[in-house]
Amino acid sequence: MIIKKAMHEALNMALREEMIRDPRVVLLGEEIGPYNGVHYVTRGLFAEFGKDRVIDTPISEESFVGVGVGMAMMGQRPVVELMRMDFCLRAMDQIYNHMAKIRYMSGGRLSVPMVLRGPEGPGPNPGLTAQHGQQLTVLFAHCPGLRVVSPANQHDAKGMLKAAIRCDDPVVFLEPGPLNNKQGDVDDGDYLVPLDQAEIKHDGSDVTLIGYGASVSLCLQAARELERGGVSAEVVDMRSLRPLDMAPALASVAKTNRAVVVDYAWQSYGPAAEIVSRLMSDAFWDLESPVLRVAGKESPLPYAANLEELSKPNVEEVVAAAKQTLRN
Amino acid sequence: MSVVARKPGPPESAAGNAPHATATAARNFPLDTATLKHYLRQMVTLREFEHLGEREFKNGLIRGYYHSYAGQEAVGVGLVNALDLHRDYIVDHYRDHGHVLLSGVEPKLVYAELFGRRTGVSKGKGGSMHMYSPEHHFLGGDGIVGGGISIATGVGLALKQQKQDGICVCFFGDGALDTGTFHESMNLASLWQIPVVFICVNNMYSMGTSLERHSSLPRLVDRAQGYGVPTEQIDGQDVWATTAAAERIFRQVREQQRPYFIEALTYRYQGHGIHDKPLNYRSLEEETAWHARDPLKLLTDYLVQEKVLSHKQIEQLRTEVVASLEADVAEAKQAPEPDPEELLQDVTL
Repeated sequence: MIIKKAMHEALNMALREEMIRDPRVVLLGEEIGPYNGVHYVTRGLFAEFGKDRVIDTPISEESFVGVGVGMAMMGQRPVVELMRMDFCLRAMDQIYNHMAKIRYMSGGRLSVPMVLRGPEGPGPNPGLTAQHGQQLTVLFAHCPGLRVVSPANQHDAKGMLKAAIRCDDPVVFLEPGPLNNKQGDVDDGDYLVPLDQAEIKHDGSDVTLIGYGASVSLCLQAARELERGGVSAEVVDMRSLRPLDMAPALASVAKTNRAVVVDYAWQSYGPAAEIVSRLMSDAFWDLESPVLRVAGKESPLPYAANLEELSKPNVEEVVAAAKQTLRN
Repeated sequence: MSVVARKPGPPESAAGNAPHATATAARNFPLDTATLKHYLRQMVTLREFEHLGEREFKNGLIRGYYHSYAGQEAVGVGLVNALDLHRDYIVDHYRDHGHVLLSGVEPKLVYAELFGRRTGVSKGKGGSMHMYSPEHHFLGGDGIVGGGISIATGVGLALKQQKQDGICVCFFGDGALDTGTFHESMNLASLWQIPVVFICVNNMYSMGTSLERHSSLPRLVDRAQGYGVPTEQIDGQDVWATTAAAERIFRQVREQQRPYFIEALTYRYQGHGIHDKPLNYRSLEEETAWHARDPLKLLTDYLVQEKVLSHKQIEQLRTEVVASLEADVAEAKQAPEPDPEELLQDVTL
């Protein structure tokens, strides 16, 4: 049955269903227990599953991520929450050097089936400022050995998190902060959404808008805006940053011959840069116009409301970029 | 770099309970002659393994980093032998050759890994610092100082959640006490009552930095205080002492399901890595003092004195071990390199 749920509720459904299905699933993180999770994703789970399955950790990111790695090597299915994905910076040694590499360094003799999850980007609430609202996607997506995914709607959030928990590889699950409290359709049944498949979220024929996570919402809003002006935009949700599934985007560009990549991350060296590069090498002869990017501005996330809005990509910029590609 | 003035040899301040009285005190712990002979063979194997490894490093067959275990044998022999690796687990650091051998991995597989061969214990993809053998419950080999400490805590937590009666031991050096993750993990292990034994192999140097230049307190057991974890400093040169401590401590950790911290005092004969520059950060006088308490020497002196073995028999044992290891080196050299397609395999499923 399809029901309306906020994204954090969809994620909560995924955790709860997987914890019932598989006793090896254990949650670790800061304030995920009686506090119910800062962004409500673990709400009610401590009461239902108890302290051995929902483990509140001290503020020791490096070490509780490492605990997750050790538990995963032993066959448990740890799901480790970072309160904000920004705090990965405290745990990067465990993420990069251990979680991502133990399979390879052991010649495939060990695996680390864990999920590292948490919200990234400027939201749900405004004013998160420079150390709590960053979009650090590329740090994970750069590293072989990790799977890196980000859902763009409530349905995918649930199905992808369930798939991530069942995956035998380490998965970094990036929850789009700006969408955390947004409502949408979710199936209350047991279903999985693949971790390595991009999807067309809106059909169109004139220009391709490509995003992942929260930027897909910008693309969809821009597509509606463009339609009012008679421009048909197709929206591709990458869903996975590692591996990148370029097939839907390439097929779309073969049809539209134009593309804009939208990304909350800083533009330079960001995920959008990689997607543009793939389009250049694999869709060059289909393109009628340079591929454009709309991305985060090159500043730390500022506090003042007007500056924060300026720093983020917005619908108007996407619409303008799409129109620019159509001028050629 | 200047040599920092310090008292040479096993420092009394760091030497704990009368480490010089080895000839009598520790012998109170009974080890039968069969066990002692077995331990002798293991210690000789570990020592000679590194001698041949160093030779092959200098020959260019082994690349990158090579952290020799020579000098620290009584730590591994006492502690690893006291584990039951059917149920217990080891998480190691980068000075892992000795420990992976003691966990039961054949020397030829370790050499093959060092030579970057397909038959290596990590299929030639890990190298010296990244030996893994899950079937021996040996979970690495870790190149990052302090990197394995939280992982071992997680292994211990998994054992507890799975209601297994195993324990996890984690080896790391004195330098790891300077990392934040050591202190975080001590807190977590104590808070959650995890059956993990943190074993600080204090070989007196954090790379080229001596204990008094990197540690705010001379006794690392003192720096491990404050977490409610029992701590103990042991003489890491004396296999009776390491064995006695290990058997008692591991039993306690298994029964009480609580963590423990051990500081084993020892000394590495080579530099941090055998590629090190000349060891201008320590004195010949100091090295000589530690060599006088060489773990192999302490054991062989006892065996000769007690007429268990003669010098000649011990030399014969060494010759046998070296011949066997030479065969392992030769076999590992003959093993093929990994196939090119291995490059991108085992990254993810």
